Amino acid sequence: MAPQGSNPAPLPLRKAVVVGGNRIPFARAGGPYTRSSNQDMLTAALDGLVARFGLQDERIGEVAAGAVLKHSRDFNLTREAVLGSALAHETPAYDLQQACATGLETVVGLANKIKLGQIDSAIAGGVDSASDAPIAVSEGLREVLLDLSRARTAKQKLAALSRLRPKDLAPNAPSTGEPRTGLSMGEHQALTTAQWKITREAQDELALASHRNLAAAYDRGFFDDLLTPYRGLTRDSNLRADTSAEKLAKLQPVFGRSLGAEATMTAGNSTPLTDGASTVLLASEDWAAAHDLPVLADVVDAEAAAVDFVHGKDGLLMAPVFAVPRLLERNGLTLADFDFFEIHEAFAGTVLSTLAAWEDEEFCRTRLGLGGPLGSIDRAKLNVNGSSLAAGHPFAATGGRIVATLAKMLHEKGSGRGLISVCAAGGQGVVAILEAR
Amino acid sequence: MSGREAVLLGEMPSLSKLYLNAAAVAARSRVLGSGSVKTLPEAVHEVRGVRADAEKLTAFQHLLGLPARDWMPAGFVHVLGFPLAVSVMSREDFPLPLLGMIHLRNRVEQFRPVHYTRDLTLRSWADNVQGHRVGTQADLVVEVRDGTGGELLWRGVSTYLARGVFLPGVDKPAPRREPDDFSPPDPTALWRLGPGTGRDYAAVSGDFNPIHLSTLTARALGMRGMLAHGMYLASRALGEALPNDERSFTWDVDFGAPVFLPSTVALHFADAEDASGSWVRSDYAAWNARTGRKHFSGSVLPLGPGSGSTE
Repeated sequence: MAPQGSNPAPLPLRKAVVVGGNRIPFARAGGPYTRSSNQDMLTAALDGLVARFGLQDERIGEVAAGAVLKHSRDFNLTREAVLGSALAHETPAYDLQQACATGLETVVGLANKIKLGQIDSAIAGGVDSASDAPIAVSEGLREVLLDLSRARTAKQKLAALSRLRPKDLAPNAPSTGEPRTGLSMGEHQALTTAQWKITREAQDELALASHRNLAAAYDRGFFDDLLTPYRGLTRDSNLRADTSAEKLAKLQPVFGRSLGAEATMTAGNSTPLTDGASTVLLASEDWAAAHDLPVLADVVDAEAAAVDFVHGKDGLLMAPVFAVPRLLERNGLTLADFDFFEIHEAFAGTVLSTLAAWEDEEFCRTRLGLGGPLGSIDRAKLNVNGSSLAAGHPFAATGGRIVATLAKMLHEKGSGRGLISVCAAGGQGVVAILEAR
Repeated sequence: MSGREAVLLGEMPSLSKLYLNAAAVAARSRVLGSGSVKTLPEAVHEVRGVRADAEKLTAFQHLLGLPARDWMPAGFVHVLGFPLAVSVMSREDFPLPLLGMIHLRNRVEQFRPVHYTRDLTLRSWADNVQGHRVGTQADLVVEVRDGTGGELLWRGVSTYLARGVFLPGVDKPAPRREPDDFSPPDPTALWRLGPGTGRDYAAVSGDFNPIHLSTLTARALGMRGMLAHGMYLASRALGEALPNDERSFTWDVDFGAPVFLPSTVALHFADAEDASGSWVRSDYAAWNARTGRKHFSGSVLPLGPGSGSTE
């Protein structure tokens, strides 16, 4: 092995920038996208991005996207969407899946490739359909069918078929339950919400702000160059511009009803099942300049974290609480250095538990290893153009929505930084920093 | 088109009623002898305010393996206008019998992609009656305009043959063409068409012509077996030749031997680019994978700006 000193100095990393984004409006499950597949929606979002930035016949360095609820036939979902798009067919693509962090992770991975000089341009994205969800055959039927395909003689075929029982004909539909605990995501969050003593009023207040902020952003045309209508929808169908604290207060709790504490989580302060897709165009500075395209923001850095939620050491959706301090330390930043915070609203309780943890001196000392509280976030900087409670949350599409939205906000402001935090199933989370251009 | 009588229909005619009516007409003419009409009708049938149904559009796109865009595939626009063309062919003064007509050729010019939410005006008329060596052929034209009398978006010309019908005064049958010396190239695609192919396409196109639905109903109408819809094959070929059809193009197809179901169809697609890498044309041909008999062939070409409506 050569002595360490003789290694060549690492090449300085170049910047990866956000050029823009495009998504289709998000639709509540069972709505106008009911018959649209993941590939349909991802193609529609990609079509709009290609049209907006003149990418027809362009060979993009790489396209990465994913879906959380995915049919087995969609093994090459992203590549198939590329082949159906106006991009050059020589554009490579791969699928990625990290639950609700899928979309943000595609941005992080592709931005890193750009920084390393491996590619000059990239499209990150995500899509999910809760309406067109895959339904699998039961384990019993699956085993019989596989044995049947391997059987050579009539006797073997008969033997395989004879194992079939009526119960095997019942299909398996996907659920939002955690495989290890059997609790739904909402039930997990209800435990965390109760642990951090988040009130019903605080959750409803956050939900109301999300709807008001998103409606105001639509009204001032903020999404005009971030969105392409699809199947008759021009705005997110979950958005209730006229909702009020009174209306939200009337909703019955749906999660945490069996807990000792009062149940506080309702359909109003939880995200609904949603269909939708989003895309983000990333590039090197040179590529953007050569194509005469705008530069909205730099993708500065990112961090993933995971928590041990299985026996309740931490809440299922609390991983970003651990990721953010590590990311801040590496970049020499504090919460006070940010102008915008985009904390994905899986549930209002998730956002509020996250904020509470960062303000809790003991938790920050003992669990995060900090000298004191990480700090508070000015609510005026939080999810200022609305987030998932109002827009809805097609799992893998949320990261792309947030990155494009934040990049545009930063560019409009002309300076400053934004912090993104996305929690995910399996006790995971991905967080990232964008900087204005 | 001047001098043609415009017939404004209140709504898109029902294809099944037209077929039923055509069956009654066919039975009557068998009893009373065929009609005395020798020329094509001068009438133009028009329907306004036609709007596609999103669910039907999605079903059509999925059956053909196309992503469900908001732009209608050119083959779906054909489906949208087909009942209107059939209503022209069902007129009492249309000289050729509707039932049993053979789709020889189809040519579409898409001047602009057609968004499914637009209110459209569709017009259809018959044109260009000609002798054919085994009967008489005629063109059915469908035009699709934006709004009422707005921009011409799409025009399709379908050529149909009435086998065994010869009209006096129509040009002498063209001399028999040289036998098709088609020799199949290496396939670039293989379609395995199951026995339900015709029924599936009937469900998304509304064309429940019995020759496509089952062997029994096809034989009742004198066919050797049930056959795939020509426009199913052509639309699927278009989708493979031009996956992203959100643009202007011409698309044509010539039909040869029918595809009897079930069947395995082999295809060859060839794309051409100019020196700068821009797409210039795609050609396709399809044949029976077992016998090598040619089923259809055609091409897709971009329509440049300025090549739009001649009117």
